Amino acid sequence: MLRNYIKIAWRGFKKNKAFTFINVFGLAIGLTSCLLIALYLSNELSYDKHYKNADRIYQLNTVFVKDGKESPSATAAAPMAKTMQEVFPEIEQTTRLLQTFVDDKTLFQYNDKGTLKPFYENRGFLADSTFFDVFKYQFKEGNPLKALSEPNSLVISEEIATKIFGNESALDKVIHINSNTNGESDFKVTGVFLQGKKPSHINARFFMSMRGGAMEQLINRQSSDLITHNMFFTYFRLKPNASAKTLESKFPSFVNKYLGEALKKVGLGRKFTITPLTEIHLASGLKNTVTSPGSVTYLYILASIALFTLLIACINFMNLSTARSAKRSAEVGVRKVLGAEKLALVRQFLSESILMSLFAFGFALVVTRVLVPLFAQVSGREITFSFEQHYLLIIGFFIFSLIAGVVAGSYPAWYLSSLKPVKALKGKLSNTMAAVSVRKFLVVFQFVISVVLIVSSIVIYSQMHFMRSKDLGFQREQQVIVPLRTSLAKQIYEPLKNELKKETQIRSVGACYYYPGIMNPSDMNLYRSEETVNEAKNIFMNYVDDNLLQTLDIKPLAGRLFTTEFKADTNDRLVVNHKVIAELGFKNPQEAIGKTLNWDWQGQSMPFTIVGVVNDFNFEDLHNEIKPFAFRLVTDGYNYLIVHATAENIHSVLTSIERKWQKLNPAEPFEYSFLDADFAKNFQSEERLSSIVSYFTLIAILISCLGLFGLATYSAEQRIKEIGIRKVLGASISNIVLLLSKDFLKPVLIATIIAFPIAWYAMDKWLQDFAYRINIGWWMFIVAGLLAAVIALVTVSFQAIKAAITNPVNSLKTE
Amino acid sequence: MIRLKDISKWYSNGSAKAHILRHIDIEINEGEFVSIMGPSGSGKSTLLHLMGMIDDPSEGEYFFEGESVFTLKEKQRSELYKKHIGFVFQAYHLIDELTVYENIETPLLYHKISSAERKAMVADILDRFQIVGKKDLFPEQLSGGQQQLVGIARAVITKPKLILADEPTGNLNSKQGEEIMDLFTRLNKEEGVTIIQVTHSEKNASYGSRTINLLDGKIAL
Repeated sequence: MLRNYIKIAWRGFKKNKAFTFINVFGLAIGLTSCLLIALYLSNELSYDKHYKNADRIYQLNTVFVKDGKESPSATAAAPMAKTMQEVFPEIEQTTRLLQTFVDDKTLFQYNDKGTLKPFYENRGFLADSTFFDVFKYQFKEGNPLKALSEPNSLVISEEIATKIFGNESALDKVIHINSNTNGESDFKVTGVFLQGKKPSHINARFFMSMRGGAMEQLINRQSSDLITHNMFFTYFRLKPNASAKTLESKFPSFVNKYLGEALKKVGLGRKFTITPLTEIHLASGLKNTVTSPGSVTYLYILASIALFTLLIACINFMNLSTARSAKRSAEVGVRKVLGAEKLALVRQFLSESILMSLFAFGFALVVTRVLVPLFAQVSGREITFSFEQHYLLIIGFFIFSLIAGVVAGSYPAWYLSSLKPVKALKGKLSNTMAAVSVRKFLVVFQFVISVVLIVSSIVIYSQMHFMRSKDLGFQREQQVIVPLRTSLAKQIYEPLKNELKKETQIRSVGACYYYPGIMNPSDMNLYRSEETVNEAKNIFMNYVDDNLLQTLDIKPLAGRLFTTEFKADTNDRLVVNHKVIAELGFKNPQEAIGKTLNWDWQGQSMPFTIVGVVNDFNFEDLHNEIKPFAFRLVTDGYNYLIVHATAENIHSVLTSIERKWQKLNPAEPFEYSFLDADFAKNFQSEERLSSIVSYFTLIAILISCLGLFGLATYSAEQRIKEIGIRKVLGASISNIVLLLSKDFLKPVLIATIIAFPIAWYAMDKWLQDFAYRINIGWWMFIVAGLLAAVIALVTVSFQAIKAAITNPVNSLKTE
Repeated sequence: MIRLKDISKWYSNGSAKAHILRHIDIEINEGEFVSIMGPSGSGKSTLLHLMGMIDDPSEGEYFFEGESVFTLKEKQRSELYKKHIGFVFQAYHLIDELTVYENIETPLLYHKISSAERKAMVADILDRFQIVGKKDLFPEQLSGGQQQLVGIARAVITKPKLILADEPTGNLNSKQGEEIMDLFTRLNKEEGVTIIQVTHSEKNASYGSRTINLLDGKIAL
């Protein structure tokens, strides 16, 4: 019997190819979208779960308290790990990790039999000797527990090892490392680790021992300072039965005892919290984790998009199955007359729709397999898809497909099988009002989702466009960033700058420690000299040469910028932004000029004089409000040279910089980046969201259209006789097209009206994340509504026109 | 075999009743070949459907082989129907997606007959109706007469005692029509199958042993 069902189903599919295709394809797209997003979600949720003892590892967070405002950070002061381990019995082991935060890339130089080979490597860290005791990595070479115990030890990933040493063993090879963060010294390779496929919030490619570089001095100097230089990621492994809660509850008294006095002196407060390792990526609520954290909001957005896409696909599937089944009432009648019982017919229809949904499932598996690499790229995650890894997910989707098949088939199955054979044979009463209104409702529902997605796409796209084009308060285009990574590169700053200044296609050259869009780790607490340290405000600091402000085109509001004309400027002069003036309570920029700000450090007060006030500019990305910011003049140690080019042909500027660079520093390859691109990296996750949402909007529209197309086809077929009669009576083609299209436009319009408030609410919420954001405009809704209407109209009218131009003689002959 | 007692059927159209059948009394014995005649709308088909148990009257009683059909439970009625009745339609009503062989086999599937037996029975019928060569064709590849032949083969394969035919030759030319009527006569004479047909044609009616004339839902004498 089952074979018979399948045979009939198969022939039915072949006979109604378009219909079957729309149905299978639509569901397959829905399943594929959902499968892809499920892969993404499972990847996001599996961060750090693979580490041994993951449930006992915690990250220590420092909460800075100032004027009652709390700002938490994922990092802590250098000696905190050791101090806490001594104080708290719960802690079994600690380890610290320090980002090479001033390095965009770190230069490795390897002396291969006399030739010095340079390699730029990123994602480097300084780590304690205990790091691989807390975080178990698989090593290809070397002993994890001893690898970082000696100063100047280096553990690299297998990928770096292969790149530098080929097939040779990397162990005991010496690499000369130039780091802006850790200075310049030789490191010996003591281990090579395998980069697993499982995601971790620590995405390191190499680890330097904490000792042996420039950082060691700082750490030693800070050995009793529990307050400043909070930049070390600090992890604890608790003893097997220790309670994290108990530990956390002891922190307030710890703060009192060990930090209380020092804090009082500077007028600050402190708190500590711990985050379980497995929650760092998604649930810590901290922004400055080792790798930028995932967003729970985005997970919700994606999960709901996935569900809705699937829902649309299922609705289509059901809708089309029902529509098609009406055409089969005659068959049902015959079968009943031949002795078929109700249950036999139910089984037949169910097996047909299940067969169809299983086709869709198979199709979806194949398409997912093909699309995973592309999706991984779009989503910026290392996502793979294999049966061994995801068999649970696959089984889940298989079951889901079965259910979708049963649900989609059940309405037509029960409805048709309960028809009276006489009525069924006449095949007329099949299109009941209930069935029609259910289908209309489903069409409305689909288009609500599509329109919400269209509006969201428009809003997200507009915000992205806004962020790319907003006036940031400085010139971000035509700026070439040349990193000065090594001591030699820093030394050639002066001659290189002088050479470049001669070029006509270069407008200006400046140098600095940091530039807008990248991390600006320096700050100071400054107060007006007539006030006390309690009134101090936190001000971000950048260290620049005498031409940087002009290069970035930052405009002065009062006083002056640092220039070559004022040779007397020293590093106790400040150029501040307008925000500093406002926060410190100056009436206007003019008033601040010549005033002194004090900085208390190790019991001493140091004075700084304001020589200039500049307009506010976005040195951080647009999620954040502009904060107080100041520039100090220094004469060396710059990390970046910034070249403002005038030429339209940026390429020739780059070649000319490269030529000069190679003349002065031949051993080091020339590298560069663009300021606007670097700034844009800050909204990479939004860019990704934007592209994912637009992809899925397209998919949702596509599926909805498939459904609408199917229904229009069905409707035109149902009304073929009516159309024939109308034409005989003199209706024109446009009359007929209008007649058929009208039926479908109405649900789309209703959907649009329902969708607007939903879309507005969701997008307004999303925009709250940005300190600088667009306003949601009416035009966005109008565009979305028109777009939906046009798409629906085109889809429907295709069938309507086809039906309208049919010769009525043919359509009337069918009875 | 069949006894209809005071059968009426109407549709309510607002407050008015539209009568299709009024107070019909009919008795048909086993082995008869009865023709039902009458103009369009006289209720012929409805009467046939009632006798075939695929439609219900508004009032009246129906005894089939002494059993009161309308008081039987759905399941029992369906069993009774399956066992004894075969239908032949004017529009043939073959299933388009199935071959000739499969169309004929379908009722056997619903009668839960084993695969080996089915094969033998279908082969036998194909042979008797001389359509072996057509068994793998689809309905659309056959002429109307051939389609109706398949329709009858499908109706008789379950060896029903009663065949109900609703204008079986209505869509056929006269030569094809004659062949079909000859086939009915043979089934009636040689195998003792009771046949009731609805027809417009005096000529076709003459193949039967008795004619019932319907006019406006009443038996015309």
